[in-house]
Amino acid sequence: MNINYIVKELFHRKRRTIVSILGLSIGVALFLILNALSLAYREAARAPLTEIGADITVQRAGNVPEELTGAVFPCSAVTIRREEINKIEKIPGIIGIGQAVLVWVFDPHRAWVVLGIERDNTIGPAILRVFVTAGRFLEDGKSEALVEIAYARQFGIKLGDNVTAAGRSFPVVGLVDASRAPKIAVANLYLSLKDAQAIAAASKLLQTVSPFAPDDINLLFIKAEQKQITSVAAALKEIMGEKAAIATPESFLKLLGSLFALSDKFTWAASLIALLIAILIAFKTMAGNISERVREIGVLKAVGWTQRNVTMQLLTESVIQCFVAGILGILIAVIVAFGLSFMTVNIPIPWEMSPKPHFLPGGGDQLFKTLRLPIHIPAMLAFFALLLSVFVGGLTGALLGRHIATIKPAEVLRHE
Amino acid sequence: MNNADILIGANLSKRFDDLEVVKDVSLIIKEGEFVSLVGKSGCGKTTLLSLLSGLEQPTKGQVILNGKEITGASEEELALFRREHVGFIFQSFNLIPTLSAWENVALPLFPIKMTNEQRQDRALELLNQMEMGHRTEHLPAALSGGEKQRVAIARALINNPKIVFADEPTGNLDSATGDAIMAILSELHKKQGMTMLMVTHALELAKTADRVIRMQDGEVIT
Ligand SMILES: Nc1ncnc2c1ncn2[C@@H]1O[C@H](COP(=O)(O)OP(=O)(O)OP(=O)(O)O)[C@@H](O)[C@H]1O
Ligand SMILES: [Mg+2]
Repeated sequence: MNINYIVKELFHRKRRTIVSILGLSIGVALFLILNALSLAYREAARAPLTEIGADITVQRAGNVPEELTGAVFPCSAVTIRREEINKIEKIPGIIGIGQAVLVWVFDPHRAWVVLGIERDNTIGPAILRVFVTAGRFLEDGKSEALVEIAYARQFGIKLGDNVTAAGRSFPVVGLVDASRAPKIAVANLYLSLKDAQAIAAASKLLQTVSPFAPDDINLLFIKAEQKQITSVAAALKEIMGEKAAIATPESFLKLLGSLFALSDKFTWAASLIALLIAILIAFKTMAGNISERVREIGVLKAVGWTQRNVTMQLLTESVIQCFVAGILGILIAVIVAFGLSFMTVNIPIPWEMSPKPHFLPGGGDQLFKTLRLPIHIPAMLAFFALLLSVFVGGLTGALLGRHIATIKPAEVLRHE
Repeated sequence: MNNADILIGANLSKRFDDLEVVKDVSLIIKEGEFVSLVGKSGCGKTTLLSLLSGLEQPTKGQVILNGKEITGASEEELALFRREHVGFIFQSFNLIPTLSAWENVALPLFPIKMTNEQRQDRALELLNQMEMGHRTEHLPAALSGGEKQRVAIARALINNPKIVFADEPTGNLDSATGDAIMAILSELHKKQGMTMLMVTHALELAKTADRVIRMQDGEVIT
């Protein structure tokens, strides 16, 4: 085997070399990008949930309150009972749960979306401690409130003021920037879970729509083993009944409605087909190359190259081409992925997951979780593609070896 | 001059399907001999040459080249044998278009373990001998017919062959260039004592040789 000879051959037959290398590399790139896109959308679809520390959220739909006075539940989040939570905690695959109570409070001069949160749980809305821009976060055992900063600005609420909701008074200890906070369970007024539960339990109107004990909740956040999310979701449905609204990365993926988000099997198949077509092109080009070189191969044999020598030479030639094509394909994919990473994805957050009365500021707006497409080419997949292209090169060389064996050296004595 | 028999063909026959192209040919070439093989087109000269040089197996008969019986050898063995003992010069030069002149000369050495410098040194030495020292880096396409054949002769000599087989080496050249090539071959024979079997159908070229073998319809007639 002579590398110099190989390189000269490849350069001499530029058109063929370019066709086979480019063909295969585009196939490799397509294969990688399609899969990377699918993974990226999958990753993106998890964002609305992961930013609230969860993999699954659970709510229950109920009736619309008859009147909007005092504390009421939005129709998309009514009571989840304590005994249901006790059962849910035992579902295999669940790592932890977070609880919250979301109520709308209509006071004579003001309406609030009030959210009661577990102060010290990393699963659920307590994550917003990071987004306290003024003052401090809630402290243990105290009846205190955080106010969303835009709301506070609009109604002139300042740090240290007392706010009243459903007849209870709370000192404002902090302001929260909800524009940066998770988009699920967005509220104007944040209280401790206990205070919110007390407000809900004390509301007669609320009790008539959806009976609520002081240790019930209406929002549940679940962290689960990645591989068991689907089975956990099914078990949740079982416990919660048909009114349950269970959000998973899968359900956000559906909301995204992207072609690549549709089905990973579809993407895998489509990308594999692209790769196979590319392999066929490369194979045909390289095989055609050999048929064009029958005489040359005859000369090699006549001057004393063995079948093995010739086969090794041509096999190395095709392996090198395919290897270069594989590397080029990975490079193209990485560059394209870099370009695509500037794309933003807007994941719609259903109104039900962040219910707000329509007449409140921003109440009717569609909420989006906006993020840059988290696309990257997985190293394992790139490695697989490279391995596959080199394998194709080897296979081509090996198959052509049989063809080479039939070329008779005596043929070169015949003049053209 | 040593008179050892370097090439023995005994009762050689070659059949392509139902066409017998070489019919019961026997001949002996001694070391240092320059033999030419003449005959009309299609009489089987090239076929006989391919049998004697180990490019092809006879249907019947034996070939003993440099003391080794090559009939019945495998493709692999034949290739190695040609690599070691035989040089070829073809009518249509058969240079590799992608390789430079010196690389074409070194082509038979590629599968042999040696450094590229060693290959190049040997190739350049032979090209100089062919008065081609100034065109070593050129591709065949940039060479004239005569120059191509000089490169091809250098290639035939690179393995220090025991015998060189030439099939109409001037067939693709004009007469002046052909004469120059014949002069080179003749000198190879005279000065270096190279054993040669040359196929030609031009009788006057055949006269350069020590001995002329005539063929007709697949048979040797003298
Ligand atoms: N591989 C083959 N298969 C079938 N027939 C063949 C084959 N090789 C040669 N022949 C036939 O054998 C006959 C002799 O061919 P060969 O090439 O040996 O003649 P030649 O004397 O060298 O002729 P020329 O002077 O034209 O080169 C021709 O009729 C040719 O068609
Ligand atoms: Mg002939």
